Amino acid sequence: MFKKIFSYKIPQNLMVIMNTMALLLLYLYKDHLDSLVLISGLLLIFIIYMSNFILLKVSTGDHYIFLIISMLVSIGIIMIYRINPIYGFKQIVWFGLGIANFFLFYLIVRKAKYWNKWLKMYVVLSFILFLSTLIFGIKVKGATNWIKIGGHSFQPAEIIKVLFIFFLASYYANKKKLIKPTIFLGIVYGHIGFLFLQRDLGTAMLFYFIFITISYIYEEKRKLIFYNLGGALVMAGLSYLLVNHVRVRVLTWINPWQYVDNKGYQITQSLFAIASGGFFGTGIGLGHPEYIPEVHNDFIFSAICEEMGIFGGIAVIMLFLILVYRGFKIALQQQNKFFRIIAIGITTMLGFQAFIILGGVTKLIPLTGVTLPFVSYGGSSLVSSFAALGILQVASEELDLEQEEEHGERIQKDH
Amino acid sequence: MEKESKRIIRVLMALSAMLVSLVVYLSYFEIFQAAKIEVHSYNKRQWLNEEYVLRGFIVDRNGKVLAYSEKTQDTQTRFYKYGRLYGHIIGYSYKEYGKAGLEASYNKALIGADELNPIRVITEKITGPKEKGNNLILTIDHEMQQYAEQRLKGNKGAIVVMNPRNGEIYAMVSKPDFNPAAIKENWEDIIEDKDSPLLNRAAMGLYTPGSVFKVITATAAIQDENIETSFNCEGSININGYVLKEYNGAAHGEVDLTKALADSCNVAFSQIGLLLGEVKLKSAAEKYMFNEIIPFDLVTKSSIFPKTTLMTKPELGATAIGQGKLLTTPLNMAMVASTIANDGLMMKPIIVKEVITPEGKTLRANNPQILNRSCSAEDAEIIKDMMIQVVKNGTGKNAALSKVEVAGKTGTAENETGKEHAWFIGFAPADNPKVAVAVILENAGTTGGKGAAPIARDMMSATLKKFK
Repeated sequence: MFKKIFSYKIPQNLMVIMNTMALLLLYLYKDHLDSLVLISGLLLIFIIYMSNFILLKVSTGDHYIFLIISMLVSIGIIMIYRINPIYGFKQIVWFGLGIANFFLFYLIVRKAKYWNKWLKMYVVLSFILFLSTLIFGIKVKGATNWIKIGGHSFQPAEIIKVLFIFFLASYYANKKKLIKPTIFLGIVYGHIGFLFLQRDLGTAMLFYFIFITISYIYEEKRKLIFYNLGGALVMAGLSYLLVNHVRVRVLTWINPWQYVDNKGYQITQSLFAIASGGFFGTGIGLGHPEYIPEVHNDFIFSAICEEMGIFGGIAVIMLFLILVYRGFKIALQQQNKFFRIIAIGITTMLGFQAFIILGGVTKLIPLTGVTLPFVSYGGSSLVSSFAALGILQVASEELDLEQEEEHGERIQKDH
Repeated sequence: MEKESKRIIRVLMALSAMLVSLVVYLSYFEIFQAAKIEVHSYNKRQWLNEEYVLRGFIVDRNGKVLAYSEKTQDTQTRFYKYGRLYGHIIGYSYKEYGKAGLEASYNKALIGADELNPIRVITEKITGPKEKGNNLILTIDHEMQQYAEQRLKGNKGAIVVMNPRNGEIYAMVSKPDFNPAAIKENWEDIIEDKDSPLLNRAAMGLYTPGSVFKVITATAAIQDENIETSFNCEGSININGYVLKEYNGAAHGEVDLTKALADSCNVAFSQIGLLLGEVKLKSAAEKYMFNEIIPFDLVTKSSIFPKTTLMTKPELGATAIGQGKLLTTPLNMAMVASTIANDGLMMKPIIVKEVITPEGKTLRANNPQILNRSCSAEDAEIIKDMMIQVVKNGTGKNAALSKVEVAGKTGTAENETGKEHAWFIGFAPADNPKVAVAVILENAGTTGGKGAAPIARDMMSATLKKFK
């Protein structure tokens, strides 16, 4: 037992080592040694260690995704703490709440049985959230996608994402469709339309991609997929021509240097940071990520690249890659169709959201503001991502649910 | 495998491909683009040290201070002691107008941020940056630079004076010029001036070489056994209906290669060009760094030898005598003269001798470096003898010195403006070369022998007096 606790072969121990070293660096580089670092650090290490430990006892499913996420969150928190200790500490608190949420959703989703029947409830909830964003929403960075309740603001779209996946899953999982295909499509484009109204392009793209992915796998009318793709192209073309901020994003993607002191400021500052880091980075606390506006949020990856180097950045991408791999493996092994779709939906959401923002800040694709899941600063993003992860955890287990169709033959022949 | 699983795996592959493309792109970005982006003037990281670190000074080869900075409370001021004399070499460094010249290419050294030892880089980051930047020692000789400027005054053009043995540049002047100390006041005028004073003509001015290119054609001719040893010059030659004339229509009669070079005989050289063919001529030119990037501490332009596939016979004849679409820089031509002087070995041009720390320790020394072997030592010897004849009996008599033997070549380059460029390249003493020069007077409307040779002679004589 004692030997096991200190073994380097146990992944969460490796994580403890990594976090200790990073926090030590943070502790050293600050001019005055403050106790906040120490408290935060111990808190972080404790949360990660305990939650991994508990999960191992509770869940019979996949144990890797939670480790991957712990690593991502650690990197994120270290970076955020280095940029702004107050935010860093808050993020640790959010992390704790996120983990609580993870277990909460894990238990609830595992307990209830009829998730695939409640399609209409998901839609109603989504639209209530959308409407309230439109009515009570406040404008942040050109997008009206925040609601303020009490002292805290949160992004309803973060919750809608999960609801949307549930909606898609319950549509496709039932052989006898609960709603007509036309209504189904109307609801999907309703979601995307609302996001457009809020000028939240990144999230709109994300919703669309999740929809296309799931319909690629499950839609029986194959033509419909092409119609949707064609429609998307037309929509993209139209919005480029008609919507100014879409055009700005494209122009600053093609040549940001022309707009270096105005529209292209953020992206060029991000490129400076990445370029200045080199392969090995300047070292934590030794770069200047503070020059990038919104660095703790959408641009956290640029800060990681500057201080931890391109190799640090590649490590983050690799973590997402393993996450995607594990997520799809879960989907392939799951017997229940509804949870199979849920697993695909959540994995696609996390993977593609990571791609949108990573590609955006490195100028591989036009920049659209979404957060880097589990890494960026932000309560609602972190908490809802953990909720999604809790659901994925359920999907990774063998479920004792009633089956609408026979799945006996789907048992892993090919694995 | 059933359809659904197949599709799931396809989606997995697509997503993985996206994430992997990010890794590939990031690596590409870091390897090929980062260096360029990092020095963009909007990257505040570069200016960070600059506020704090006292920018290093720049001295000539004898320790004479040419540029320095002084601290006044929180800010520092840069002083360019000799103003326009070093505008094209030292350049300038202003937040508003950016950087140019050595101030740009040696910026990291001057602000003390180019430590080669990674451990020191790290300790420095933790203990805070140094207070003083590193200093530069140039290969320029201030007196020679002053003299060159004085001789070029009133003309457009450039002078390059260098040591043919090690590539060190003693003087490099380009006219018209600008005053880096008064850039703030004159910026509008400077950038609107149609004579482009910001352009360093010595390294970036592309000129038709004219007859100085015959040195290169001669190299190719010697290396080719099939070239006849003598030509008959009747004052003009008709190549496929295109008539190429001698300067002033003079007929040189029966000439060998030496006499052809000495008299700068166009008829003979265009015939040589036709006999050689474009491929051999091009390969000879490329050995003298045509179509290649000359590695240098200041920005350079590459000399151009046109594409051989498109060359017609008349064009080939014109190219062999340095006309046609050929373009070259004065620096490149000074290097050609140096190469002949240095037994066929072309040296890398050097303008910064050393980077030294504030404590006086050498941080980096730019040692002589062979760039290319342009021709064999024997061939170089033959061409040298021909170039001696140019100065002794040919078109370059104005470059002759009383006590030492000079080798050289004149050039009178016709161009679209109708007023010829006057060229001279050469070196001295011929038996033990210590100095090589290239002089060009842009649109001088006179011959190289009349316009450029006397200036080259004075530059060589002054340099020899200084560097005995």
